[in-house]
Amino acid sequence: MTFREINSKMVEATVTPGRRLFSQRGAMLAYKGDVSFTPNVQGGQGGLMSMIGRRVAGEATPLMTVEGSGTVFFGHGGHHVHVITLSGDTLHVEADRLLAFEGTLRQGTEFLGSQGGVMGMVRGQVTGQGLFTTTLQGQGSAAVMAHGGVFELPITPQRPVHVDPQAYVAHRGEVRNRLSTALGWRDMVGRGSGEAFQLELSGHGTVYVQASEEKL
Amino acid sequence: MSTYATPGAGPAVYDPLTLPADDNVNRYTFCVELKGGQWFLQKGKMIAYYGAIEFNGIGHGRLDRLVRTSFHSPLHASDWVVAQGSGKMLLADRAFDVNSYDLDDGNLTIRAGNLLAFQPSLALKQSIVPGFLTLIGTGKFVAASNGPVVFMEPPIRVDPQALVGWADCPSPCHHYDHSYMAGVLGGLRAVTGFGGVSGEEHQFEFVGAGTVLLQSTETLMAEAATGAVPSEPGVPGGGSTAPGGHGPQSSGAPRLPGQLGDLQRRFGL
Repeated sequence: MTFREINSKMVEATVTPGRRLFSQRGAMLAYKGDVSFTPNVQGGQGGLMSMIGRRVAGEATPLMTVEGSGTVFFGHGGHHVHVITLSGDTLHVEADRLLAFEGTLRQGTEFLGSQGGVMGMVRGQVTGQGLFTTTLQGQGSAAVMAHGGVFELPITPQRPVHVDPQAYVAHRGEVRNRLSTALGWRDMVGRGSGEAFQLELSGHGTVYVQASEEKL
Repeated sequence: MSTYATPGAGPAVYDPLTLPADDNVNRYTFCVELKGGQWFLQKGKMIAYYGAIEFNGIGHGRLDRLVRTSFHSPLHASDWVVAQGSGKMLLADRAFDVNSYDLDDGNLTIRAGNLLAFQPSLALKQSIVPGFLTLIGTGKFVAASNGPVVFMEPPIRVDPQALVGWADCPSPCHHYDHSYMAGVLGGLRAVTGFGGVSGEEHQFEFVGAGTVLLQSTETLMAEAATGAVPSEPGVPGGGSTAPGGHGPQSSGAPRLPGQLGDLQRRFGL
């Protein structure tokens, strides 16, 4: 386990030679040992094409590479931090919510329109994800930021989960998500419940929800 | 950690008897019990009180003596209030986490904005490091931080914004680390600014015996004035305009991504 939660807003990461980390720039709080922080021009892994892909997709959060041997403490902006450990499955998360992740995870960019076409794009606009989102795949863990505490909701085929788009943080597993609308005439005359849009997640997996509707 | 005892039980209701004495009510509120004694607090940090407590600005009439015994820098004494009387008083600061610390014939240096209140048995002095205050003696004080405070043993290097304070003098000094600026590519990076900086080139380094206090995030609390120090040769931060103007206070300004910051000065750009 590379990441260890010290308290709700701070994680400790162990860096050993050959096991590097990526973290958001400026998110280091303190470190012990011999660790270097190098700004990462590419904004993550992969070659030039991945970098261009991320730039185009607007998923190019300034990252830095953390290398060396020692212990590093991460925290950022007073947000709560949640550690997610992946074992071969895929985590879908917004790039700016990623505080730090292990170099063993494969980073990718996903087009939201690929799932549900135009509705997928609309969904991206409503959730604030934009048209693209970041995926992490493989073995390793990632520290994800959220406003307010994070809780996990399991998704099973029988029990789809509805999440407020603003409270959605990330999801993992074989999950289909769909924007369900409950628009009625009340919304048109300005007497809506304020919950007209919901994110419906179905399939097998887990969704991470923050206890706040404030975006990062 | 839940504020509520049992789910659905509703918030806990306190009265003067059930309020804790000199302890945290919750993460964000601290209760001080006064029994005819005095406490010093930063202006505006008291949120409620029970009993007969008088709040007086320092430096008027009979409180003059306190300036001499507990405040050794009369210039910033105006930012502090003396609470006197008996009762219970609640302290909080903008929903930051609040903690109390006991000093036993020790010393602790803390960022000026983070200190909320302290017992008069402690002496408050300005630190040589600008923007920091040192508490010396035996007694209790209350300090705020963004996120819970974490205690670390040196040797450690700390982001300037995450530092709350340190105890027992583990020699704070600046540390610069930008090895990626070396070489041809590094030079190119320094000249063009392309590639940006990691934002972690500058840390505070602590070595030796002691304890370093860290807050869990990099959100700083508002600076409190620590008073001007005499402008004379050999006094760090002396005078109103220190040449160069760096040090812990200037690091409070947000460093933009891609901005070279201290590196520019270092490379003479």
